Amino acid sequence: MMTAARFSWPREGLVLGGFAALVLAMPLWLPWIGGYEALATKIVIWAIFALGFDILLGFTAYLSFGHAAFFGTSAYITGLMLKHASTSIIWALFASAVGTLVLAFILGGLILRRSGIYFSILSLAFAQMLHAAALSIFARWTGGDNGLTMDTAPELLGMHMEGQPMFYFAALLLIAGFVAARQIKRSPLGLMLQAVKENHMRLEYTGVNVMGYKIAAYVISAVYAGVAGSLMVIYEPYVATKFLNWSTSGEVVIMSVIGGVNTLVGPMLGAGFMLYFENVVQGLIGAQWKLVLGLIFVLVVIFLPGGFVDLWRRLRRRFGPAPDRRDNVPDAPGSLLEQREARYKAIEEEA
Amino acid sequence: MSKSTKTTITRRTAIKTVAASALAVTCAPAFFVRNAWAEKAIGNFPVKGKEVVFGFNVPQTGAYADEGADELRAYKLAVDHLNNGGGMLGTLDPCALDGNGVLGKKVSYVVGDTQTNPDAARTSARRMVERDKVIMFGGGSSSAVAIAQQYLAQEMGVVFMCGLTHSNDTTGKDRRRYGFRHFYNAYMTGKALGPVLAETYGSDRRAFHLTADYTWGHTQYESIKSFTEAEGWTTVNNIMTPLGNTDYSQFLTAVLNSDADVVVLNHYGKDMVNSLTQAVQFGMREMQKNGKQMQVVVPLFSRLMAKGAGPSNIDGVFGTANWNWALRDTGSQAFVKSFEREYGFPPSQAAQTCYVQTLLYADACQRAGTFYPPEVIKALEGHTFTGAGPGESFMRAGDHQCFHDVLVVQGQGMAARQGDFDFLRVYKQVPRDQVSYPVDTFPGDLGPYKPA
Repeated sequence: MMTAARFSWPREGLVLGGFAALVLAMPLWLPWIGGYEALATKIVIWAIFALGFDILLGFTAYLSFGHAAFFGTSAYITGLMLKHASTSIIWALFASAVGTLVLAFILGGLILRRSGIYFSILSLAFAQMLHAAALSIFARWTGGDNGLTMDTAPELLGMHMEGQPMFYFAALLLIAGFVAARQIKRSPLGLMLQAVKENHMRLEYTGVNVMGYKIAAYVISAVYAGVAGSLMVIYEPYVATKFLNWSTSGEVVIMSVIGGVNTLVGPMLGAGFMLYFENVVQGLIGAQWKLVLGLIFVLVVIFLPGGFVDLWRRLRRRFGPAPDRRDNVPDAPGSLLEQREARYKAIEEEA
Repeated sequence: MSKSTKTTITRRTAIKTVAASALAVTCAPAFFVRNAWAEKAIGNFPVKGKEVVFGFNVPQTGAYADEGADELRAYKLAVDHLNNGGGMLGTLDPCALDGNGVLGKKVSYVVGDTQTNPDAARTSARRMVERDKVIMFGGGSSSAVAIAQQYLAQEMGVVFMCGLTHSNDTTGKDRRRYGFRHFYNAYMTGKALGPVLAETYGSDRRAFHLTADYTWGHTQYESIKSFTEAEGWTTVNNIMTPLGNTDYSQFLTAVLNSDADVVVLNHYGKDMVNSLTQAVQFGMREMQKNGKQMQVVVPLFSRLMAKGAGPSNIDGVFGTANWNWALRDTGSQAFVKSFEREYGFPPSQAAQTCYVQTLLYADACQRAGTFYPPEVIKALEGHTFTGAGPGESFMRAGDHQCFHDVLVVQGQGMAARQGDFDFLRVYKQVPRDQVSYPVDTFPGDLGPYKPA
């Protein structure tokens, strides 16, 4: 495994340490650019959602247009738990994680049989069915269009979860989620998922249980979405019906695309950008902010198809040090293959 | 410290003195500053600096963006009047405001976009509360948005003055101590409209309802149904139509196939424009049913909707409104004049309610002598005032619903129109007493004065 060969703990530690520092210090640096604590918390929560989404879209290239199903369902479960059962968030988080898992297995088993556009449409359809159900047959529990309102103060081991404690709780979950996602990406599972993306047919012919891997990716990504949905309600004890709506699914897709799919960092960057724009820049631009945002999407998609992360790569390619040896490209000059051939040649010559 | 031997202050006395004065200095505010014991920080109280900030959270995008734009115009006008005098400051009675800011502080404001979406509205409101340090926020269309913000207001200890919200729930089951509504509600619409409909169309009518499928639609349907049935009408059927629907032909066909002779459209905004226009295209306004002329009723009417549907379609159609710019009372006229001077056209009812709320809040602060939210809330609760529209208005303490005269309006046809904005004719000004209802009609709990 070439990627595994390049892995080193000092480098990994640097990446994770830098990431953790950036996230944990967000309440300090965000106000410099017009942000505020509540925005930092929301960015972190959406970053978890986007990070999980990248495990599905980035790794396997399965574009789910219905991830709101997990975000929203988990939000409702958390809301109902906090409202009726206990104000402790441990039970709420646990219940919504279980709920999301069950839902993900059921939905995954049903819709992962199709791929491409059919998968997208199916995921959208199921999510919208849940949305419609929350508004109609479950309206007695979900509060229908008014959303689920409650008067609770969620707490963790007696600590009231709001403001800074809430931010750091969410931030720690995000960092843990990031570590896990990087591990998954490097693991055999991650490589299998990349293989699914390359050519799932061929993989199937080699005897690999592709469905199992797809479900694994789907469920992992759903759990991330579920945790994000749950945190959203712990942070703001209110569940909007919008959490289940397709617009939420669409938002996370857009975040991923403008940030950079299959980079893990990209979607989180996208989430931060979207929320920053929606809440800070909006106040400066006024009523036309959506138009400007649309224009930015268009420009990003046309000129930076790889998202914001691509911008960084391009800058580095142009101005930075010489690029890394592309070990994983067999016929690149200086690749392992070439080195090996050179060695063979030397051995042959010696002989 | 000098080490002079002449001084009689020993180290012990020095320490005692320092300790005593430290204690005195720390506790002094508790004795000398008014209400210092009572007024702990709540929300963004105490207000620091020479300015006090209001937050205006209106739909700038989405289905109700037109209303939002008009609300914002009214808010800007209200801030101008609070700082410089004018408008209803001269007519509101009692009025502690002097056109020189609030409690000696100039009023500034920040604006947010609710996107007609409860979640976005809460995020935007949080920005105003946390970053911009607003002492109160207001605005919004759609009841779901208002209710979501009301809960946030209670959580954060910042007063929220609801904008355009007509659902019974806002001051019913979802009433909050930190939320106030000046706008009327669906129940009051039913109470005002029922008798007028029975007088005009007779008491043996059979009504078919088409209802927007969300909270506001549901509560309005319930209210209209019970008040028309009290007048002797029969409710034939009700169909819930999806929000944002564009084609109503299947529902209207069901109306035609029934024996109903009145169709009630519990729709708002573009939905109402579409359903009414299509009902007219179906010939419903010329049709005879049960030997009677068929009628269309739109319980919640607004100028923007009337304009969208067109004068010929709305001619003679009954509905209700919170307020209309053509009202002749001094308060309304003062507002309309200053609004027209500023923007060149008359304000909508959304603008009026937002304007009045802002003044009400500012006046309550002035009367309470503090921005301390519990005191301001107490000053608003049970407050009676005139000069902010027709007749006397009363902000009920039990559910924070404001009661005032409500209008039954009729669409104005092309022939009778006077000017470009004359879409609605005030048919009847229903007195406050006739639309009031007991506080326990809807169960609900306001919650505490101080957030946890």
